[in-house]
Amino acid sequence: MKSLLTLRVNGESLSLAVPESWTLLEALRYGAGLTGSKQGCDKGDCGACTVLLGGKPVLSCLTLAHSVRGEVTTIEGLATPAGPDPVQRAFDVCGALQCGFCQPGMILSARALLNRVGKPTDGEIREALSGNLCRCTGYTKIFEAVRMAADGCERHVPVRYGTPSTGFDVIGARGRKADSIHKATGEAVYTDDIQLPRMAHGKILRSPHAHARILSIDTTGAEALPGVFAVMTGVDLPTAYCIIPWTPDETALAVGKVRYVGEGVAAVAAVDEETANRAIQAIKVEYEPLPIVKDAEAAIAPGAPLVHELDWKGRPWADNVCKEVDLRFGDVEAGFANADAVVENRWFYEGSTHAAIEPHCAIGQWSADHKLTVWSATQVSHYLHRELAKVLGVGAQDVRVIQPVVGGAFGGKSEPFDLEFCVAVLSKKAGRPVKILYTREEVFYAHRGRHPMDMAFRVGGTKDGRITAVESDILIDGGAYHSFGLVTTYYAGQLLTGPVGFENYHFRSRRVYTNKPCCGPKRGHGSVQPRFAFECAVDELAERLELDPIELRRKNMVTAGERTVNGLLVTSSGIAECLDAVERASAWKSRRGKLPYGRGLGVAASMYISGTAYPIYPNEMPQSGVMLRADRSGKITVFCGANDIGQGSDGMLAYIVAEETGVSPEDITVVSGDTELTPVDLGSYSSRVTFMAGIAAQEAGRTMGTALRNAVAGLWQVHVDRVAKGLGVYSDREDPARSISARDALILAEAAAGTPLVSAGGYRTRKVGGEYRGGTIGASPAYSATAHVCEVSVDAETGIVRVEKVWAAHDCGRALNPQLVEGQIEGSVYMGYAEALMEAHTFDERGLHSGPNLLDYRIPTSMESPDFIAQIVESIDPGGPYGAKEAGEGPLHPVIPAIANAIADAVGVRLRRIPFTPDRVLAAIRAGRS
Amino acid sequence: MLRMDGFVYRHASSWEEALALWRSAPGAQYVAGGTDLLPNLKHGLFAPKLLVGIGGIPGGVRREADGIVISAATRLDDLAADPTIRELLAPLGQAAALVASPQIRTMATLGGNVMLDTRCMYYNQTLFWRQALGYCLKAEGTWCHVVGGPKTCVASQSSDTVPVLLALGARLRLVGPEGRRELGIRELYQYNGMDHLRLTAGELLTEVVVPAPGAGFRGSYTKLRTRDSIDFPQLGLAVCGQWEGSTPRALEIVVGAVSPQPKLVRGLDAFLGAPLDDVAVAAIADLVHKQTRPQGSVHGDSNWRRQMAAVFTRRALGAMRG
Repeated sequence: MKSLLTLRVNGESLSLAVPESWTLLEALRYGAGLTGSKQGCDKGDCGACTVLLGGKPVLSCLTLAHSVRGEVTTIEGLATPAGPDPVQRAFDVCGALQCGFCQPGMILSARALLNRVGKPTDGEIREALSGNLCRCTGYTKIFEAVRMAADGCERHVPVRYGTPSTGFDVIGARGRKADSIHKATGEAVYTDDIQLPRMAHGKILRSPHAHARILSIDTTGAEALPGVFAVMTGVDLPTAYCIIPWTPDETALAVGKVRYVGEGVAAVAAVDEETANRAIQAIKVEYEPLPIVKDAEAAIAPGAPLVHELDWKGRPWADNVCKEVDLRFGDVEAGFANADAVVENRWFYEGSTHAAIEPHCAIGQWSADHKLTVWSATQVSHYLHRELAKVLGVGAQDVRVIQPVVGGAFGGKSEPFDLEFCVAVLSKKAGRPVKILYTREEVFYAHRGRHPMDMAFRVGGTKDGRITAVESDILIDGGAYHSFGLVTTYYAGQLLTGPVGFENYHFRSRRVYTNKPCCGPKRGHGSVQPRFAFECAVDELAERLELDPIELRRKNMVTAGERTVNGLLVTSSGIAECLDAVERASAWKSRRGKLPYGRGLGVAASMYISGTAYPIYPNEMPQSGVMLRADRSGKITVFCGANDIGQGSDGMLAYIVAEETGVSPEDITVVSGDTELTPVDLGSYSSRVTFMAGIAAQEAGRTMGTALRNAVAGLWQVHVDRVAKGLGVYSDREDPARSISARDALILAEAAAGTPLVSAGGYRTRKVGGEYRGGTIGASPAYSATAHVCEVSVDAETGIVRVEKVWAAHDCGRALNPQLVEGQIEGSVYMGYAEALMEAHTFDERGLHSGPNLLDYRIPTSMESPDFIAQIVESIDPGGPYGAKEAGEGPLHPVIPAIANAIADAVGVRLRRIPFTPDRVLAAIRAGRS
Repeated sequence: MLRMDGFVYRHASSWEEALALWRSAPGAQYVAGGTDLLPNLKHGLFAPKLLVGIGGIPGGVRREADGIVISAATRLDDLAADPTIRELLAPLGQAAALVASPQIRTMATLGGNVMLDTRCMYYNQTLFWRQALGYCLKAEGTWCHVVGGPKTCVASQSSDTVPVLLALGARLRLVGPEGRRELGIRELYQYNGMDHLRLTAGELLTEVVVPAPGAGFRGSYTKLRTRDSIDFPQLGLAVCGQWEGSTPRALEIVVGAVSPQPKLVRGLDAFLGAPLDDVAVAAIADLVHKQTRPQGSVHGDSNWRRQMAAVFTRRALGAMRG
């Protein structure tokens, strides 16, 4: 029942008519339009909705709006006309914001702390922020920001404040992200923050069965409900799709059969979310339950039920193995024969999920001339654009995809999802815009997270430290559909061959269908799991060969210019420097193996791709395009299809264009992720954006920069070589007193051109990779390298492992903005740490998720997250923009094995199954003693 | 977003007003901090037509002849910071400071923590999830998935403050349709996860009275959980005693978050009056281990949680005896 609500918010009185069952969060967001307060978990588990009530932090999602009596402060209320609050400014300056979605709540918690304690200790900071989960930063830069705010932070800080690399004006300087102040103040608009006139709310009815035939669906009950505008089922969109065009095995809503608990069966659009909820309850679905395939082992058992009967070409599946790869390089048996020691064991990686704090959300709207716009929290607007056109059966020219600000993705938003198709169909049927926002539970069912892998490995080496042979047999639990599975199956073997190389290699990997939510790419797609197994095996091998584990890795490094055993060309590698750095920083030589019982150090190394060499669908067009439009107002607008999902790619584009043109970064605006306005970039996946969009931006910027310098040379009547580019200014090399601002140069250049000043650049596919079937998968124009040392303490009575410190050295080529690179390293390490110690995406015998919410699926808080010490190594890649390579995924890989190896150093037991929960650790310690 | 639907909210400024509002609508429910009730409403576990807000009633701590009197409406963060609590009832403040997250402690009340519904991984889930499960004994179903049977619900009493209050022998002041009464907190809980509070319908907890501990009081609360914030306990252990040097004159140990009823450890009297040496500590830990039977309603291996009860006991007593 709606009734009048009077609230004091940010010093103003608000009167709203809202239902008495609404929370304060609903009243603020959907009643008052104060969308700075975010919704992440539905029910008090994440803290994104934190506001201050009477100066104290409370969860607005668990506060009934009509119960509020005190003064409410939201993120919108912190800034004054004089500027943002010092806490907001400090978060901006320190790079404490990546996706920014948790930050309004985080900043308010920090503000309340500083109001209470002027100069908090590190422990007080951790404690005060411990109800605000952040999935991007690993908290490191957040702590730094709170300390900075406590020390007094100016309300105005220049856009850039670091020193650039030698020979550059912008590149290499520590700088803020392009959009972080908007995120810090609550100005940034995420998909669920968009309210369109007449907008309806959609809901998807989901299957309670893990495997069942759909006998009938009766939607009449829903259609008859007042306030329901449209209803749809699987038959409305029968065209199958898949992000990988070779394996289209999925439909927007289930057709004929459901294959996991939570699969969409029907959808409705109604006047509000409450009505939509009632409407889906009124749909009657008759199911015939089928025996389920609960995991990979069950999938390959003789006589196992088939998850899919027919493939996309109508051919019957013989079994549940949806992809198998078997590749041999060199002579493995000879390699093992030459080995002095062979480590052979099985490792098991439990699945994990992305858990970005922003739930998926999409809005569909059709115009009067039958053109569709979809706003979506996606990291692949281009692929979404293509799949929407295909599945809806409309021309791609009639579809526009806009990616608003995205609240974290990590691979979890890198393919189309049911809600994006449903909002398109429902909005057409309803004749009005339709929004669907997932509940947190639905995010867990959408999943596409890290695959469970059962991994048998053999690794052989000689006394002098050569790794002579590696063999693996990996069984991959794919869940109900393919997703990126074809690639995953290759990656499980292909990406293991550096930076620690070996002479002979055989891998077999099989991905199977099971009746569970579909797995896909999570940060470090396909290779985090085998990296865990392999780097643990290498550690055991070092022990057997009586070699120092760092030394053994050093002896097998793949160096710049070399090819790995499977033919990947390593164009640059800083692995030696990475190993040196973590060895030194951790005092490895004097401490490893010598710490008291219960304390230990462990090392691991890895490499990762900087983009896949080839696009997902074969084509000859550029993989990334950048367009620049200069303007007589003195600014440049950068247009690029790249998706900034919090990693900071918009800023990266601005820095590169600034470097090339001499126009100051603050005079550059980036428009990205809008298929109508921006040239195609394939999206934020496989760590490709800095490398590929960076090259495109460099090219576009160079053309624009040349036009500007030519115009200045024309004005001064000198040769263009005399015109020197600075930051925001051009000067005469021979007459330094003569200069002109970049803003004025833009006007000159436009006049000289006689047309608007534009330029374009692209990243064109480079032919790389091995000359064998599958040799292009895993091929990348450049590879990053990483080495970590972890220090752990293990309580041998409880089994509780604490990760005390992680020294993470990462070779990202040139760090275009070291602050953002550090953020990527810290965030990656955090995520790996979480997978190692607590995260487990598990299901019971019924195929039911063990707890699809952020209370049961635990992601680390500020309290237990370790200290991360990020160290940047710059190998300067010959092909990357200014030598840059990836930083967003590589640094995750070594964390899990480094922790496992540190536990072995601490208490002498080898853990081969993650997560390393205390009961498992304790059992292993006891088994080791007996 | 999970939405709630179908109830009205009325704000009460006093216990009497709350009771009157409750009487006005059958099936009404009280809401104080709302940090547990609202998730449960969002999960469709209850469908009250009326919510009576008691969060606006003043909290506070005061001393009276028969002990320290804490208003049930006292916020957990205020309780943890209260000078009287810190001075006299440190383990209670310690337990309050370990509840959930800072935001939840700002909102949640001591009364809510004492009256907290039992929890179970098969119960505290969405309506959709529970439908897919086929429901459970505690809500709409006929089967307990933890023990695998149709008879007993073993959802866990999971409050952090409760083991300490039991160890301290707190008394509860209640007001209800039948009038006022006082009840020892040890009488409040029963071993039935579906109905774990011995209360009559509509009864409200107004005050918690803790006998003032004498000289030589030492106590502690230890919480087992995966993360150092947000999480409910996998096990909570309260140890409170009167000590002379290393000799306990009185000793109470309560284990929480193992079953519907907090476990008051029996047989500790045998250890009173003599210095607590390592052998005695080990014997008490063994006693705690024997009497603790953690149910699988809470995450984490039950056998391991049981072992942790012994480890926590040994560590707590080791620290306490000096």
